[in-house]
Amino acid sequence: MRHGLNWRSGGEMTMSTLTTNRTIRDILLSPTDIPAMSARTLVKEALELMSAKRLGLACVIDDDGKLIGLFTDGDLRRLLLKSQKPISALFADDIITHARTEFTSVDRNMDIEEALKLLQDREIFDLPVLDENGRLEGVIHLHPALKELLVK
Amino acid sequence: MKSKIINVGGGDVAEIKIGGCEPLVFLGGPCAIESRAHALEMCQRIGEICDRLNIPWVYKSCYDKDSRSAVTSFHGVGIEEGLDILAEIRQSQKVPVVCDFSDANLANQTAQVVDFLQIPAYLCRQTHILTAAGKTGQPIHLKKGQFMSPWNMKNSVRKIESTGNEQILLTDRGTFFGYNMLINDYRNFPIMMETGYPVCFDATHSVQLPTSMGNVSGGQREFIPYLVRAAVGCGINALFMEVHDNPDEALSDANTQLNIRYLENILSQAKATHETRLELAERWGDDNVHVND
Repeated sequence: MRHGLNWRSGGEMTMSTLTTNRTIRDILLSPTDIPAMSARTLVKEALELMSAKRLGLACVIDDDGKLIGLFTDGDLRRLLLKSQKPISALFADDIITHARTEFTSVDRNMDIEEALKLLQDREIFDLPVLDENGRLEGVIHLHPALKELLVK
Repeated sequence: MKSKIINVGGGDVAEIKIGGCEPLVFLGGPCAIESRAHALEMCQRIGEICDRLNIPWVYKSCYDKDSRSAVTSFHGVGIEEGLDILAEIRQSQKVPVVCDFSDANLANQTAQVVDFLQIPAYLCRQTHILTAAGKTGQPIHLKKGQFMSPWNMKNSVRKIESTGNEQILLTDRGTFFGYNMLINDYRNFPIMMETGYPVCFDATHSVQLPTSMGNVSGGQREFIPYLVRAAVGCGINALFMEVHDNPDEALSDANTQLNIRYLENILSQAKATHETRLELAERWGDDNVHVND
């Protein structure tokens, strides 16, 4: 059966016609492909990493590789609107200062459809993928997931 | 905001704790070691005052004055004689000593004698100097450069931390405000406290007017008491002042060193202010105005 997304007239995406057995392991962006960084990475360095990896999600990990914080493009927008610090001071903050420490994550065995549904429900673009010990295995990003479904 | 506590001295000399909710520590002495007799006399006289007030303290004096306005300015007694004098003071007075150094190659020799290694403000970004200091294992008294933002001092802190040394005191000594003029921005204390390390206020250099007199720095000592009370109220952990028995005749920083006859008055007020601040923190908790309110 052809895999694809069914767009209804209202533009809302539904998963009803998707019947893949693929898991998000197939579309996982590995830790080397994502902006993963230590807690004491400066905000300015974090933004550079996010730009270099072309992902709006900074993943803050501890020495064991456990995910301890997330910082997104949206967090940056809200921070800029809220903080009255000079940009030079904001740049010098540790990224963990502004990262959210409570977040949703998924495991690699989740079906792609299920993961896409989660992205859709939450209206987000990325989800961190953790192993059973909370270590960061990678990130699923909306576009590779869509590509996987549309192309194959 | 409670900082970590660093330890200065111990062994042959008093052990001083700086940070957390510890008593305010005084770092003081003549800017330069002028002679053995003068250094000893000043240490004894300051020690008597601190003992009377029950203020923990560290004796400060330097053997090399490299950052002077003119080539003809007094440059110090030199490292050999200076360290001999500081060693004698440690042994006889049982007080820890703090002294700066201006060349990475002198870090180890200096650290073999002094308890607390000071990084001059103008050199606070110098990687060789910071890592050489850190590698000695001694606690580091790191002064914020007059040209540095408080948040960028984190870079200097991390240079020291890269050596495994996490015994650091961060000091504000004023910030350039145009030419030949310093200003004190008290936001620097809570900002530098964000590093987790204790902070200190250098009152006498803060009133300096750098090289305002052609080939020598001026200063406005009359503001010292005001600045001290305000800084202690902000929550500093240590107070630094250069003290001299005859500032007009001092061989360096003659326009900013505090005459010792004012020391007891100022230290008494600083101690009382510090104790009041700790009581207020106990009663009202940490300062709790947040950006998100």
